[in-house]
Amino acid sequence: MKRGLLAALSIARKDLKTELRTKESLNASASFALVILVLFSFAFDLDRESIYAISGGLLWLVYSFAGALIVNRSFARELPNDCLDVLIASPTPAWSLFLGKAIAAFFLLLIVEAISLPVFGLFYNISWTGVFWPLLLTISLATWGITVVGAAFSAVTVNVRLRELMLPVLLYPVLIPLLIGGMGMTTQLLSGNMAAADRNQYLRQLIAFDAIYTALAVYLIEFVLVV
Amino acid sequence: MREKAVYACAIAGIALMVWNLHTIFMGLPNDALQGFIFRIIFIHVPATIAAYCFYTVALVTSILFLARRNFVYDSISVACIEVATVLILVNLVTGSIWGRNQWGVWWAWDLRLTTQLMCFLLYLGYLLVRPAITEPTQRATLSAFIAIFAYADIPLVVMAIRLPNVRTQHPGPVLETGGLAPVYVAPFVIGIFVMLLIGTALILVRLQQESEQREIDSLRRELHAL
Amino acid sequence: MDITNLRFLFYGYSAAWLIVILFVLLLVRRGSRIDRELSRLKALLADRQR
Repeated sequence: MKRGLLAALSIARKDLKTELRTKESLNASASFALVILVLFSFAFDLDRESIYAISGGLLWLVYSFAGALIVNRSFARELPNDCLDVLIASPTPAWSLFLGKAIAAFFLLLIVEAISLPVFGLFYNISWTGVFWPLLLTISLATWGITVVGAAFSAVTVNVRLRELMLPVLLYPVLIPLLIGGMGMTTQLLSGNMAAADRNQYLRQLIAFDAIYTALAVYLIEFVLVV
Repeated sequence: MREKAVYACAIAGIALMVWNLHTIFMGLPNDALQGFIFRIIFIHVPATIAAYCFYTVALVTSILFLARRNFVYDSISVACIEVATVLILVNLVTGSIWGRNQWGVWWAWDLRLTTQLMCFLLYLGYLLVRPAITEPTQRATLSAFIAIFAYADIPLVVMAIRLPNVRTQHPGPVLETGGLAPVYVAPFVIGIFVMLLIGTALILVRLQQESEQREIDSLRRELHAL
Repeated sequence: MDITNLRFLFYGYSAAWLIVILFVLLLVRRGSRIDRELSRLKALLADRQR
């Protein structure tokens, strides 16, 4: 157990290191997020009230698009030179390989979100600094959900034809409950009328989603990777 | 043998359905609030119940496939999921028409409707991803994985109208609370059996096709070797 | 009861039937394609083995 976790951390460190050197998916994902933010500003012509009403939905659409780009590379990165086969054949258990990938994708997506959140506040005139800590909690919980499910489906689709198309088709329906929770919580935080009952409901929803899907993925990934 | 089972299921299902339709249209009184339209319930709900039964079978066979690596389990999973997804589509479309009449809108984004649509999309993803994987073992393993993931949504759909503090457009549970008047119970239960029988007939046809497809694949390999 | 109510009931039942019939047609078409392919392959194999 402990050795598996250590292996997961070293896989994550390896992934982050290669990604921060080449920045290939990080650049693509961050610039994609910015482009979407700009596009949305043309799509809706809004006054101050209604911007706050849709802010959470906007933010999480951008984040989930960016997340799909990040996790798409998560396992595909290992395809050249048959690195994936070597990793699977190594004594590292499959679940720690998967967990490492998920952790790396989590931090990469957090970086993209950290870049696009200030831009979002700037473009749409939304002040988020006052609720920074609760927002960070929401973002971390929902981002972990996106990346853990995303990394699992990234492992599923790594050898599939039309991988880039299949991943979103599978990923987004699974993410719906998570995104509903994240969007609702963020909207209420940003517009400043957070009811305690709603907050608990959303938090429970996010935590339950994370716990259920992390357990499912960690338990089942063995069968997917070691075919 | 299998052909006989298909015919038996189909004929029993259709006969039962004709009899049930007769009861529904000729024998039952109109609903006090909704008039004629409530009769959609005898398709709308049984379709979903049958679909969930088939999804549950597919869940079990998917787990069994991962444990035993026998391709029969994979065939059963895909046959069940395909037929069940058609039944979910029936449920969504009839529900939408019912909603247009009773609520005035084709669709409302409440928890029940959203989770059910999500269920449809998840299993549609399963059916779409299968043809994209060429290697049979890999295809079966990955689809089993997706089927298990997708099933996690079904308790959510069932709970969506039973949770305490959820506002829904969809009516609450009528079955266990006695909201369904006693005269309606029999046609309702028969409706479930109709859907199960017709669904089973379709699944058996689909299973036959799957095994023929496997035969084609092995013949192809043999030809290739020659 | 007003007539629209009955009309929507008709829409509902026919939509359900239409979906099931379309699926059955799809099944039949796929079945005949598989049968054709199977007999073609069998003939080809018998031809090769001779």
